[in-house]
Amino acid sequence: MPETPIPKLKLSGVSRSFDENLALAPTDIEISEGEFICVVGPSGCGKSTMFNIIAGVLQPSAGRVALDGRDITGKAGEVGYMLQKDLLLPWRTVLDNICLGAILHGRTTRKQRAEGVALANRYGLGDFINHYPAALSGGMRQRVALMRTLAMHRDVLLLDEPFGALDSMTRMAMQKWLLSVWAAEKRTVVFVTHDIDEAIFLADRVVVMSPRPGRIRDILPVTLPRPRGRDVYTSKEFLHLKDQIMTYIYDDGEATDAA
Amino acid sequence: MQLDKQPVWKTILYPLIAFLLVIGIWWVSVIAYDIPRYVMPSPGDVWAHILDDHVALWIGFRVTFKEFIIGFVLGAFSGFAMAVAMDASKTVRGVLYPILIFSQAVPIIAISAALTIWLGFGLAPKLVIVALVVFFPVVVNVLDGLRSVDADLLRLARSMGGNTWSIFRHVKMPATLTPLFSALKLSATFSVTGAVIAEWSASTSGGIGAYLMQANSRLNTSGTFAAIAYLALLGLVAFVLVIAVEHLLTPWRHKPTVPRWSSRFWRN
Repeated sequence: MPETPIPKLKLSGVSRSFDENLALAPTDIEISEGEFICVVGPSGCGKSTMFNIIAGVLQPSAGRVALDGRDITGKAGEVGYMLQKDLLLPWRTVLDNICLGAILHGRTTRKQRAEGVALANRYGLGDFINHYPAALSGGMRQRVALMRTLAMHRDVLLLDEPFGALDSMTRMAMQKWLLSVWAAEKRTVVFVTHDIDEAIFLADRVVVMSPRPGRIRDILPVTLPRPRGRDVYTSKEFLHLKDQIMTYIYDDGEATDAA
Repeated sequence: MQLDKQPVWKTILYPLIAFLLVIGIWWVSVIAYDIPRYVMPSPGDVWAHILDDHVALWIGFRVTFKEFIIGFVLGAFSGFAMAVAMDASKTVRGVLYPILIFSQAVPIIAISAALTIWLGFGLAPKLVIVALVVFFPVVVNVLDGLRSVDADLLRLARSMGGNTWSIFRHVKMPATLTPLFSALKLSATFSVTGAVIAEWSASTSGGIGAYLMQANSRLNTSGTFAAIAYLALLGLVAFVLVIAVEHLLTPWRHKPTVPRWSSRFWRN
């Protein structure tokens, strides 16, 4: 495709085996700048493997990962990532945790701190910058974790089930919040989840994965208008997409042991 | 985390009641059973002895305290360094762990006698004994703390550009503070015992342990008990000191926000 612009993130023929087992079959995907991609699939579908390969913390058995056309295969630190565990340092304040990247690089500058404070203010944590994480709720802790990821200034954000440990009401609030952050920050997001509703609500495209071996089953575009509100959940397109994804996941007869 | 949320007067009153109760029972028993003073002095006799000989006791207290505090800090730091080395290298861990465990199997008293031969009658052998008492629990606990840091957190820190030193400084080292202090709390009172044992093997230092030994050999029971009282006080001081330092160094365990004195940041 010589005439199309270079994709923000591109996997070509990426696969990974653990011992004899093929955890991720050769996978190709192109993600454009500013896109919100959700990856859904049952346990063992290779989504975490793919996540770790993109994050650069796991070396693929074959294939390459490119960011802006540049090979970043097996290189950590090229993309920002965040997990279900908030991984906040309990002995550091909210502001320190947001600025962790700078702290780990040496001293934080006044500018970096001001930026951390601005982030906290903009996304509803302004009153808590001097608090320790233990004083925050689960949802707030995940917000801090995302602020920490944003403060790293990476174009691509990888989020691995970031709201998986939250109760469903908090989770919905966090999804709306995440979309507002994404709209303001204009980053490219790859969001791994096993919650189909969450995937459709958030994504521009939903990547459905299947197990044995882990592979991409299909990629479905979501054309629901943005900004998205609660009404999305009951719209025709939403239900149609949900049905299609559930068909892939449950009727392929491969998810019986997924629970 | 916040277990002791009872009012301050209660936290002081209850131990005070317990203390007075013990003194009371002791005093009443001595009178009621007519126990001779050289077998068991009454609290009054002990108090009289303390008033009589408080200068020597106070000097002894200071000597033993000095042995304790220097040896304690020495043991804590070397134990910490040892744990870091053992965490960093599998070889170091493999070689040192058996030696460490073996060294714990040797009774302190036996080492104490040998140390006097090697290091003489001065401060040095006392410091080594006290340090040895602290050393082992610190190594074990700190090593445990270092190795229980979440692997995902280390991976994240590395992907955020942290190098070995900055990850150690900001992620691993603070994680050892809680296990470090539980080791220090355990060994605070034990290391006072260590100091006393060391003084017994070479008793020219004039510490409380030496005082106790002298009083005991003269069948001066009041003196023995006075020394015991000072040693109990010393153990208490040691314990409280450790707790105070812990409180200061781990503010996140008992406060919702950063303490003002350590805040390098501003609010908006």
